[in-house]
Amino acid sequence: MTDVRSTRLRIGMEIHVELATHSKMFSRSANVAHSDHFEASPNSLVDPVVAGLPGALPVMNKQAVELSMMVGLALNCEIASFSKWDRKNYFYPDLPKGYQISQFDLPLCRDGYLDIPSETAEGGSRRINILRAHLEEDAGKLSHDRPGGGFIEGSLVDLNRAGTPLLEIVTQPDFTTAQECDVFAKELRNICRFLGVTEGIMQRGHMRFEPNINVIIELDDHREIATPIVEIKNLNSFKSLRGAIEHEYKRQVEAWKVDGLEHASGRKSTWGWNDEKCITFLQREKEEAHDYRYFPDPDLVPVVISDDWRLAIQATLPELPRQRRERYESDFGLSPVQSLALTDERDLSVFYESCIDSYMALDDSTATRQHGGQQCANQLLNAGAKRANELNRNIHDLGITPSQVAQIVILRDGDEIGSTAADTLFGLLCDPALDEEAKTIAQQEKLLQVRDEGQLDKWVEQAIEAQPQAAEDFAAGKDAAAGRLVGEIMKRSQGQADAKAVQAKLRQRLRDE
Amino acid sequence: MPDHDSILAITNAIRDGEQSAVEVMSDCLGRIKSSDQTLGCFRETYEERALGLARMIDDRLAKGDDPGPLSGIPIAVKDNMVTDFGRSSAGSRMLEDYHSPFTATAIEKLELAGAIVVGKTHCDEFAMGSSTENCSLGTTKNPWDTRCVPGGSSGGSAAAVASQLVPAALGSDTGGSIRQPASFCGIVGLKPSYGRISRSGLIAFGSSLDQIGPMTKRVEDAALLLQTMAGKDRRDSTCADVHVPNCLEKLDEPLKDLKLGVPKDVINEHNDDLVNTIIQEAIDVYRDLGAEIVEIDLPLAKYAVAIYYVISAAEASGNLARYDGIRYGHRADLKPGEDLFDLYAKSRSEGFGDEVKRRIMLGTFVLSSGYYDAYYKRALQARRLIKQEFDQVFETCHAILGPTAPTPAFPMDEMQDPLSMYLCDVYTTLANIGGHCGISIPAGFAQREGRRLPVGLQLQGKGFDEARLLRIARMFEMATSHHDQSPELITTNKS
Repeated sequence: MTDVRSTRLRIGMEIHVELATHSKMFSRSANVAHSDHFEASPNSLVDPVVAGLPGALPVMNKQAVELSMMVGLALNCEIASFSKWDRKNYFYPDLPKGYQISQFDLPLCRDGYLDIPSETAEGGSRRINILRAHLEEDAGKLSHDRPGGGFIEGSLVDLNRAGTPLLEIVTQPDFTTAQECDVFAKELRNICRFLGVTEGIMQRGHMRFEPNINVIIELDDHREIATPIVEIKNLNSFKSLRGAIEHEYKRQVEAWKVDGLEHASGRKSTWGWNDEKCITFLQREKEEAHDYRYFPDPDLVPVVISDDWRLAIQATLPELPRQRRERYESDFGLSPVQSLALTDERDLSVFYESCIDSYMALDDSTATRQHGGQQCANQLLNAGAKRANELNRNIHDLGITPSQVAQIVILRDGDEIGSTAADTLFGLLCDPALDEEAKTIAQQEKLLQVRDEGQLDKWVEQAIEAQPQAAEDFAAGKDAAAGRLVGEIMKRSQGQADAKAVQAKLRQRLRDE
Repeated sequence: MPDHDSILAITNAIRDGEQSAVEVMSDCLGRIKSSDQTLGCFRETYEERALGLARMIDDRLAKGDDPGPLSGIPIAVKDNMVTDFGRSSAGSRMLEDYHSPFTATAIEKLELAGAIVVGKTHCDEFAMGSSTENCSLGTTKNPWDTRCVPGGSSGGSAAAVASQLVPAALGSDTGGSIRQPASFCGIVGLKPSYGRISRSGLIAFGSSLDQIGPMTKRVEDAALLLQTMAGKDRRDSTCADVHVPNCLEKLDEPLKDLKLGVPKDVINEHNDDLVNTIIQEAIDVYRDLGAEIVEIDLPLAKYAVAIYYVISAAEASGNLARYDGIRYGHRADLKPGEDLFDLYAKSRSEGFGDEVKRRIMLGTFVLSSGYYDAYYKRALQARRLIKQEFDQVFETCHAILGPTAPTPAFPMDEMQDPLSMYLCDVYTTLANIGGHCGISIPAGFAQREGRRLPVGLQLQGKGFDEARLLRIARMFEMATSHHDQSPELITTNKS
């Protein structure tokens, strides 16, 4: 056998997004993917349509179609002026009607793309092409344990999820690394959350990934061989998505070396992912000759989307994460790392911008939006991120208000507060009970810088007395010795002394400058 | 005392205080009690509820309220329509003890207008059949000759109206299931245009073909029920948002310049001779009324039965998948070691009758990969062509006249071959395929060998043109007296 010269991954993804509509895809029953109903008890979100009772008919949820159009437009897709509903027939206890209503040959959205930041040194972006995005209904859930754990004879069906609107996005096999899939998945989640179409809570299965993976092996004689495609089912975390792909990469190359099997029609297999052992495992050998007998659902009328309707939805599209990042970088001069962090969550981004708005409203003198943007970002990503980490909360959920953040920035602008004290003040304001102005709290807590000449002189004298060696060194021209003196002053003043004024005083007192 | 077969007469008598709704209902329930043992129209009756509602009608009238245009009218509904009272079984063991939490929209609308459901009538299982013999829960006899079938699948409803147990009943029509039993039992049966009446609460058979419709003794009553049930429904998106006209307003006004289309082979050797004679007479009646008879050609009509059985079976195979023994309906007992597959296979094998299984298999087959294009897809294409054919024909005439069925009612157990049974639908399936409306009205009697069986005349009108179709039917009714005849009421003598 010829030796392997190189290998590379080829991955296409299917992503399922549960839409957070009020009611289900084809009934008025409440939707478990809507935040009002996350904790609904089993089988409480069920009506005759959801349970597939005799005589019950599906009626399309227009909101679900509109949310899907938003995603399609955000992914630069063509929105079909005519699409229809099809029945996908199979028996399973979590599928009440014995068929799933889906879209077979005429999906709502097709032929789009999403540009993701490139991993290469040159930067730029990579385009991932979107084949289609279609709308369907989710199935219920089957459990084989007693609720809360424990053995049970048979299985239990919970239909709360049955009928939840599900948008299935299918990409072209354009990914070449697990990293790209990860970046794409996160960006897609972020877009969907910015659009407000899904809560996007991974643990609740609001987004599920199914990568189709194989490896292109280049041999020494320049022949290229593709390994059989493996589809990994139902990955619902970014970590498992990466893990599964990385594991498959190695496994497929090893498997090929042993069995020499190449990609061929009918050789696609379905695998699962074991989160504990971090390995993929075979679920279904070969693509079973599963005949779903798709046919147009006669209970539903086709979806006809006029130009007017499409344009109206287009007009509601908010600024998307990528555009927002670009704006932060160009308008505020944020670094890519900062802009990424601030657009990771839609709510944080909104919070950040209201901090800037508050800042502009508060400071009437020389404030610029650019400066406000920079300083608010610094506050949120330093003091904010630190508290968020400590409290295991989101930066925008700490309890501090945008106006208080802006006030801290203004205190810093006027040198009224030092950086350490600003950090302390930020922490204090995270107590939602403290709704006073930042300056009031700073005064109460003695966090404002002291510039009173008499008081500063007193501290300087005390510091020289306490650190005679440092004073001597500094006087002799050793700048580094200032640190010890300033530290001493800060200790005595409990951080309130204005550091700049102290420096000046030291130079004046010891060097007569 | 009013006729107990005219809705308007009954409801007027109740409104005018000549008779109370309770009296009307008690009479009705009494007739059912005395005759239905022989005829077997009813699957079950709701005596207590019906009398309770009748009492409410009387109370409201006493207070000066208007309980609606159908005040106190007892109606029977086919067993394949769900109600939140009693059982709704579609003639199937699968749903033998099924109780629905909601009521069909059409029934709700009738009861809102004052009508009262007295009971459910037998039908072929899931409406699959033309004789009501495929019912797992009972068999209905033809009131004109109890050795014969009442037709089907709405046989129980047809027999109940024909024998005057109730003044009106609801049927459903997927390929002729209202019109054919109406013809066999000598009553009026209207299949409205697809989308005219909500299908919500109708246990689905062929979703793109199914329609609920009235079965009555008179055209006028059919018109009244139709306009009460018609109109859009938020529970059925295929139910059309089309204006519902007042069908009674000009009902008795004969249509001037009526053009009636008659297929050129309307009289043919596949029909019973007596049916041919009666249809010829009907054509003459219209000609005498001044109608212009236009010969029409529907070359694709001969494919109707084939198209119908492919499409209806395909849709049925999906619609009946929900009966899996998991959530409701018949569930087989499993032996140790049997699994989920066995649960499905056994529950469905035990719950469904042979005809239903035959159609599920047929439907599954025509949708299967490799056969879809040859059968299902071609059937859809042919369906489109047939619709076009009808669109063209309806530009040249107001209605199409012909027989409802090729024969009068046939003896029970005679039709053993499923294919011959399917051919009973040769004239009726066209209206379901085309989505337009059709009505069967009494046109005469076939008399031979001591039997006297009614024969129906079918009129088909273009989509959503029921008002005119009913007027055309009414012209015939006014000119003839077939509808005045009733079978001798069979009573069980209780000593």
